[in-house]
Amino acid sequence: MKSKELVLNLLTGKDADRPACYSGMGNVTTAGLEQFGYKFAKVHSDAKMMADTAASSYKLFGYECAVVPYDLCLEAEAIGCVMNPYEEVDQLLYPTIKEKVCHSEDEMTTFPIPDNITSRGRVPMVCEAIRLLKEDIGNEVAIGTYVLGPFTLAGQLMDLNDLFKLSFKKADKVNAMLDRLSNVTIEIAKALRAAGADYICIREMGATTDVLSPKVFRNVIFPHLKKVREALADVPTVLHICGGTNKIMDILNDVGCNAISVETKNNMAKSREDIGYEPLIFGNIDAYNVLVNGSPEDVEKAAIAALEASVDAVWPSCDIWPTAPIENLKTMVETVKKFGAEKWVRKNR
Amino acid sequence: MANAEREKELLEALKQSVIDYDEDAVVEAAKAVVEEGFDAYTAVFDGLVEGMNEVGRMYEEQEYFVPEMLMCADSLYAGLDILKPHIEQKAGGIKGAVVMGVVQGDVHDIGKNIVKMMFDVAGFDVHDLGRDVPMEKFVEEQLKTDSELVLLSAMMTTTMVGMKDIIAKIKEKNPKVKIMIGGAPVSEDLADKWGADGFAKDANNALKDALNMVKALKDLQQQ
Repeated sequence: MKSKELVLNLLTGKDADRPACYSGMGNVTTAGLEQFGYKFAKVHSDAKMMADTAASSYKLFGYECAVVPYDLCLEAEAIGCVMNPYEEVDQLLYPTIKEKVCHSEDEMTTFPIPDNITSRGRVPMVCEAIRLLKEDIGNEVAIGTYVLGPFTLAGQLMDLNDLFKLSFKKADKVNAMLDRLSNVTIEIAKALRAAGADYICIREMGATTDVLSPKVFRNVIFPHLKKVREALADVPTVLHICGGTNKIMDILNDVGCNAISVETKNNMAKSREDIGYEPLIFGNIDAYNVLVNGSPEDVEKAAIAALEASVDAVWPSCDIWPTAPIENLKTMVETVKKFGAEKWVRKNR
Repeated sequence: MANAEREKELLEALKQSVIDYDEDAVVEAAKAVVEEGFDAYTAVFDGLVEGMNEVGRMYEEQEYFVPEMLMCADSLYAGLDILKPHIEQKAGGIKGAVVMGVVQGDVHDIGKNIVKMMFDVAGFDVHDLGRDVPMEKFVEEQLKTDSELVLLSAMMTTTMVGMKDIIAKIKEKNPKVKIMIGGAPVSEDLADKWGADGFAKDANNALKDALNMVKALKDLQQQ
């Protein structure tokens, strides 16, 4: 079965031969950048550079997807924030938001959200990158993209300390803001889908239970994720949350995405105990300690451990840090190809 | 009421109000400490800090999460603002300086702020560089202030990598500086690998380690 079929069949509940090895998060590599002589800080705002480098992960190590963009500023920028791509810095850095648009509690429900959100910022450019990827390798691998969950997006727009405190003290206000932002997430996701994205990862990484209680998650984070999911009912979606997620697996499952992606802090045995073996769970290779610092043997071990822990696709826990050696990444993909069918818990129970 | 009993009552009120993130009650108790002539230093350490220690424990047990902890920290600061001016003239306080900040590329400063609070409480000169801080800035600030401690924080896997170079740069210029790193993706392993002297895995551990480091430095100074 071709990679593309494998990924999409799995997500849509059709038959698949084995778990795939791919991601819904960034996976550009230094090797991929060097091949074209591109500087990381430049690829975020050029469709061709973005598409070239995104395709390189498939070409260089057989990754079973191509994902754009690489940064987390797309939505915030479209709303009106200013992004810092760190062009003047030599070391690798992901862009951040340097100018926020919401400066006080009162502004949470009043800061302007432009109507034509999908034609603003880099949204059209990322759509173009998706189209280029479709032309280039769209028959072989699935083209993925991601959007920020409403809460994580809120964290890009206003001071995080305030957002956290208000989530506890004034849930109504935060809910009103997140309701507005869920529309942004939905519109941008639809534009990316229309450009050709085969699946979309919803990254609500700011709302991990390392920082928010399950109660706040249920009352403030969940309703908006649910709204986003329902608006994208015809799109294969994967919900990704960083950090410890065991206490909220049931809530994540209730969101109803096609799959849930968890990181290394998740105890998979406990997750299956809580939500059973039916839901697709993706994960959970440590994207830095294993993929960058580990040896190919470590990577193989981690990939096998993830399969044995019952993941349905092997995903790195986060964006792959670009300096990860190609040999490690190749080992990750090849291990899944070699042992995936045999070790797939879903088929062997 | 006997003096000792009243002091105990106020210390308990400070502690409990920090735990309950009740800023008004903290302010009231702190004012009473000052007005009734009790020792402000004791009030900070046996009242406010005791409360924060309990908050740390509750965070570890996942009774409290970051929003609660931030509100407790606000309460502590409200009390500290009142008590601190009455500590300065007291001899025997810790003298020390610390440089801290969140590494470039990362704008998440909650953990760093909690740690900063403990150093503020302990009477350190805190040189807070804020967030998204370029590497050279840490090196420069350490040299400029001759600080004994440098604290680096990162909240994302994609930004913690920068710490490695900062540690090497600082150690190269001044091998005696103690460097502590913290943040969700950081591990003891990485701290070792990168040559840091300490590590904290989350806000609560940062808080504990900060207290330990403060104590260790205090012991050193008393020798």
